[in-house]
Amino acid sequence: MSVDWITVGAQIVNFLVLIWLLKRFLYRPILDGIDAREAEISARMGEAAAIRESAEETEARYKAEIAALRASRGEMLDAARRDAEAERDALLSDARTRLAEEQAERESHRTEETRRFAADLHRRGAGALLALTRKALDDLADETLEQRIALHAASRLRGVAEALRDGAGEAREAVALTRDALPAEVQAEVRAALKDALPGFALRFDTDPALPPGLSLRLGGAQAGWTVDSYLDGLDAALDDLARQPARQVTHAA
Amino acid sequence: MELTPDENVIFTLGGIAINATIVNTWIIMALLVGVSALITRNLRPDVPPSRWRTALEVAVGGIVDQIAEITGKSDARVLYFAGTLFLFIFTANLATVVPGFDTPTASLSTTAALALTVLVAVPIFGIGSRGIGGYLRTYIEPSLIMLPFNIIGEVSRGISLAIRLYGNIMSGAVIAAILLGVAPFFFPVLMDMLGLLTGVIQAYIFAILATVYISSATATEPKAPDGTKPEKDRT
Repeated sequence: MSVDWITVGAQIVNFLVLIWLLKRFLYRPILDGIDAREAEISARMGEAAAIRESAEETEARYKAEIAALRASRGEMLDAARRDAEAERDALLSDARTRLAEEQAERESHRTEETRRFAADLHRRGAGALLALTRKALDDLADETLEQRIALHAASRLRGVAEALRDGAGEAREAVALTRDALPAEVQAEVRAALKDALPGFALRFDTDPALPPGLSLRLGGAQAGWTVDSYLDGLDAALDDLARQPARQVTHAA
Repeated sequence: MELTPDENVIFTLGGIAINATIVNTWIIMALLVGVSALITRNLRPDVPPSRWRTALEVAVGGIVDQIAEITGKSDARVLYFAGTLFLFIFTANLATVVPGFDTPTASLSTTAALALTVLVAVPIFGIGSRGIGGYLRTYIEPSLIMLPFNIIGEVSRGISLAIRLYGNIMSGAVIAAILLGVAPFFFPVLMDMLGLLTGVIQAYIFAILATVYISSATATEPKAPDGTKPEKDRT
């Protein structure tokens, strides 16, 4: 057993070199790695704690919001119900208004249709009445009726004298047309009336079987008629005027 | 029969005989540094640790914890020194099972070198911690009479470190060699296994004792609340 001092020195050097090498390749990398990992773990835990804190804050906020929503849910439902009822009332009112308008319009149309129908009915009735009257008068008229019409015309001649004179122009002859020949006393009555209403005009009597019963007086281009047809035309005009009036007036008139 | 690998000269370099102790020390150094560099070459925080890196972390962490338990604080310089002592002696002692490999710790020169480094390191750590005056004052404590005893104690514990490690490892190797000659089939295996256990324990004891010596040299005296030094127990 001996100590080789050269070996001792070499081993001391070796050991010191080994310390440096292990510090370089073992201790520092391992310790730095542990420190880095601990720092990373600490950072991650801090991050996790921050996230957890944030999550808890979010949870608390949401819980508060949920509680507030629950508290206000009744009010919101009441408000929604009120709004719905108001909307319903408005819609119903609008519908009623439109229905009333449509009903009024339909009533107006119906009234108009009724009036038109009544007018048409009246016109048709009047036409039938006129045709029937005209036929009846044509069939039943005799000399006496025509003479009465001629006398009536003589009494009315003064009323149309001005218009006849204006329409006669230069003509100075009047022609009285009847369907049948008038008796002499009737002709004299008519002549006297003409002379009184239109002095200066010569009167000539003539007949035309195609004429309706009555008397037509021609002075040049002017003509006045007192025949059954002219009466019926007047009746026709009066019925037309009556038919053009509104239904209520028609009703009252009826 | 060679009792120490110092006598086995491998080659001569510049007139200096390079024996098996030195060469085998280099081999163990290369093994330790190579494995460490291989495992820690891609060590980054974002890379998941491999099982080898985890094993190294466990080993280094265990050494750090042991040192912190003994010294009461974590000192990287003590880790470098005591940790290297443990790893070198541990690896060298485990290498006794390799046939034909003369472990360096079976050489008194190696153990003496390691003991000398401890002897030198203790005052260096003590002076670094207390200052040169504070460290030298420990030799005359508790009284000046204790100066020679403290010096003798300081030297003797270095010698005891060297002799203890050398004796255990060398004796184990010698006993294994003797039994190999007497009963080559069974007892050498048992002795090698016992040698492994002894080697691990010796590595632990050597490193722990070195740490204790350094810790005692670097320990600062606790101060009383009023700033005065507490009265020492002189019994």
